[in-house]
Amino acid sequence: MIRRLALFAGLVALPFAPLAAQDAAAPATPAEPAITTAAAPAPAAAPAEGAASGDFITHHITDGYMLEVPSFRPPFVTEICLGRHVGEHGCESPWPDFAIDLGLFTLRGNLWPTKHTIMLALAATIVALMLMLAGRAARRQTAARGHATGFAGAIEAVVLYIRNEVILPNVGHHGEAFVPFLLAVFFFILGANLLGMIPFAATATGNIAVTATLAIITFLVIEVSGIVANGTGYLNTVVYWNTELPLYLRILLAIIVSPIEVIGKFTKPFALAIRLFANMTAGHIVILALVGLIFSFKSWLVAGAPVLMAVAINFLELMVAFLQAFVFTMLASVFIGQVREAHH
Amino acid sequence: MRRSLAVLVALCAPASPLFASEGGGGGLLTPNGGLMFWTLVIFALFFGLLWKFALPALIGAVEAREQALRDALDAAARDREAAAARLAEVEAQLAGARTEAQQLIANGRAAADKLRAELVEQAKVEQAAMLDRAKKEIENEKARAIDDLRREAVDLALMGAGKVIEKNLDDAANRRLVESFLASVGGAARSK
Repeated sequence: MIRRLALFAGLVALPFAPLAAQDAAAPATPAEPAITTAAAPAPAAAPAEGAASGDFITHHITDGYMLEVPSFRPPFVTEICLGRHVGEHGCESPWPDFAIDLGLFTLRGNLWPTKHTIMLALAATIVALMLMLAGRAARRQTAARGHATGFAGAIEAVVLYIRNEVILPNVGHHGEAFVPFLLAVFFFILGANLLGMIPFAATATGNIAVTATLAIITFLVIEVSGIVANGTGYLNTVVYWNTELPLYLRILLAIIVSPIEVIGKFTKPFALAIRLFANMTAGHIVILALVGLIFSFKSWLVAGAPVLMAVAINFLELMVAFLQAFVFTMLASVFIGQVREAHH
Repeated sequence: MRRSLAVLVALCAPASPLFASEGGGGGLLTPNGGLMFWTLVIFALFFGLLWKFALPALIGAVEAREQALRDALDAAARDREAAAARLAEVEAQLAGARTEAQQLIANGRAAADKLRAELVEQAKVEQAAMLDRAKKEIENEKARAIDDLRREAVDLALMGAGKVIEKNLDDAANRRLVESFLASVGGAARSK
């Protein structure tokens, strides 16, 4: 049991070691002089040479062009620059940044794939492959035995649960049309969340760009489904027009309440994006902060408690990974159901 | 969880360029338009793959099973209805049969009663007729016996009287005398 815990602690610390090592060497980092800590509590933490607590957190949770892959030689990590090398440890996009003026704000960005792009694509590929294989197996097993077994059965059970307990009751009548989209959202988020739990990988759903895009897609699906379901009655969800009131009150309330209704429309996807982003980021920050304690104190005597706490938070994160995918899907279902039932 | 995030962000903010743009990735709260584009592309591809290859099999199997279940339930309900209808039918038939049987029994009893009454009546009539006939025969026999007896008596008397009077009277005149006497006696006896 203790040996297993130690092993796990090592695994937990594994992804942070390279980060710490890298930051220590980065020229811009106001790190303290590197101190060789040969006796680290976990085997993976051994190569960590000094650390700056603040910076490696930022590095880990933000996006970048540097991809870390495991390596057999110290410092047990190989950095792969996705773009163009700058200096000794820098890496930047070979393409220029773009800026789109959207009126309210300017959307800036760079189309060159980043670490999170790679992670997201990786997660999507893995999950898509798993689901496709599970689907094929489920079809074959259903034909042979009448029901799916094993991994396909488990996937089918998840699909069945999300469909019957989350999507259909919340979306309302004829909710079957939304099942594929919402299931795709669920598995997409789940895949990205879980990939972020694996050492060396990064959590793409901890990036506001990813969650915002998912929220925008969901927003469009919500509003389009509202227009399709209600026709002109959709306007009731934009302009508050209560026909039971006298005319002057109606106009007054329309002026007062309509902006709130419109703001409410945008609040929902905003909340979806921030919730997912914040939850996925927060857990990582907590773990990194706990592990960072070890490097702050520069003593393996204090390592035990933070490692154990980091392990506990990791289990919590595992739960949160499922929970947030579930919550995003459920809220999207609820919002779709709300707008489709909007005809007062 | 979110509160802890806020606290940690607040803690980290002074120490790190958290919100500053870093490379092409952007700060923590500044979305990178490029990543948004890629997210869209990846999600679209992911959704397409799922829509085309994975979900039809997974949801299809589930829906097929649900359909089968619904069909089975419908069939069961139909069968139950049919069974109930058949039961009602059979019960109605049974009730009909019972009524019919009772009718038959009643009819049989009535017929038997009637038959018995008829038989009794017939027997009575026959008995009366037999009695009548017997009486009549007795009467006839009695009358014949009386006639025979009278003839015998006349013969005997005549024989006796003949023997007595043979000697002194001629046969025809005497015979007439006795006859008229006997007729007066017989007439008196008969009128009695």
